[in-house]
Amino acid sequence: MFFATDFKAKMITVVLVLGLVGLCSVRAMGGPQSSAAQANPAQDTWRKEFNEVCSKTQAAMTFSQEELTDLILRCDALLPQIEKLDESQKKVYMGRLRMCRGLYAYVLDAKRNEKK
Amino acid sequence: MPMCSMRKGTRKNERGLLLLVLACGVLLLGNIASAQVYLPKPPPEPSEYGTVILDNHSTAGPGPVVFDHWLHRSRFTCRLCHVDIGFAMEAKATGISASTNREGFHCGACHDGKKLFEGRPIFAACSDAANDKQCDRCHSLGKQGVRKYEYGKFTAKFPKGIYGVNWEAAEKSGVIKPVDFVEGLSVKKAPMQSREDFGIKSGYSWVHPIEFSHKKHSIWNGCELCHPEIFPSTPKGTIRFSMFSNIEGRYCGACHGKVAFPLNNCQSCHPGAPLWAP
Repeated sequence: MFFATDFKAKMITVVLVLGLVGLCSVRAMGGPQSSAAQANPAQDTWRKEFNEVCSKTQAAMTFSQEELTDLILRCDALLPQIEKLDESQKKVYMGRLRMCRGLYAYVLDAKRNEKK
Repeated sequence: MPMCSMRKGTRKNERGLLLLVLACGVLLLGNIASAQVYLPKPPPEPSEYGTVILDNHSTAGPGPVVFDHWLHRSRFTCRLCHVDIGFAMEAKATGISASTNREGFHCGACHDGKKLFEGRPIFAACSDAANDKQCDRCHSLGKQGVRKYEYGKFTAKFPKGIYGVNWEAAEKSGVIKPVDFVEGLSVKKAPMQSREDFGIKSGYSWVHPIEFSHKKHSIWNGCELCHPEIFPSTPKGTIRFSMFSNIEGRYCGACHGKVAFPLNNCQSCHPGAPLWAP
């Protein structure tokens, strides 16, 4: 009887220690991080598209009117996805999308004016 | 003609002349006064120039934040903070809070206790574990001796111009190397396709034309910081840029007169003009 109780206590201790070690290793491996660095599949999709579309701003002047129109449409398609993000992400990415889209629209407009 | 009517006529003329002189005087004074309004005000001391007070919760919490542009601009491009990290160019438009910082946005994009700068971790902004002393490093308005960096000491080795640090020379000489990328927020971009520099003719013969360098501006700002929000697209010649609009904080005045060199520094934009407008 005494043996059984002692064994049970030891088992519980082992399980608890293992649990603690497990928790610590999750934390050490990078556990819950800030949402700026967080990655989940749904986030990956819009983020990938955002990075793809807005990484071209520095070369905006080299694009044709068709390419610029396409980039603007892609920005517009991103808007509803960014509107669904949590408050902090939304604050940052709505502004970035507005600037990115704004630049493409500006260059497109400038190119149209040049032709006139 | 009788003598008395001649005298009356002379008096009438004198009165008319006096009124004319008075009217001219009033007009002249009015012009001088309006010119005064449209001359750039003398800037504050370089150490105070570009200082922003972030006061979202003035009645509670650790007090307002004092943000020094001179410290951060020596390390990062304008574009990094105002585009990638999302700091708005207007007061109260960013929506910054302790929670956005904790979540890795705004100040927390760099101040996360993990990212390194010059081999040392950058302290975490608004961390739950922070003590009063740590909070005071940023929330420092009206608190003595809590800031880590002091303008004079920090910029001692930077090249100077007529007004404080000459940031362009500092970058050119390699004294500062502003970083343009922050992990987790920035997007890897193709190299900048800078547009050519161009001249802007003045509408007045006595104003020296401007030599505008796209290259200089785009290194620090990228494209989207200026276009279209500060400089919108318009058919050529439909917008008349003027010192009036700059002084009011539009166009060039969105940065110059606030953070970038002051509008008083005439020669930096108008080669051949006086160096400084007092």
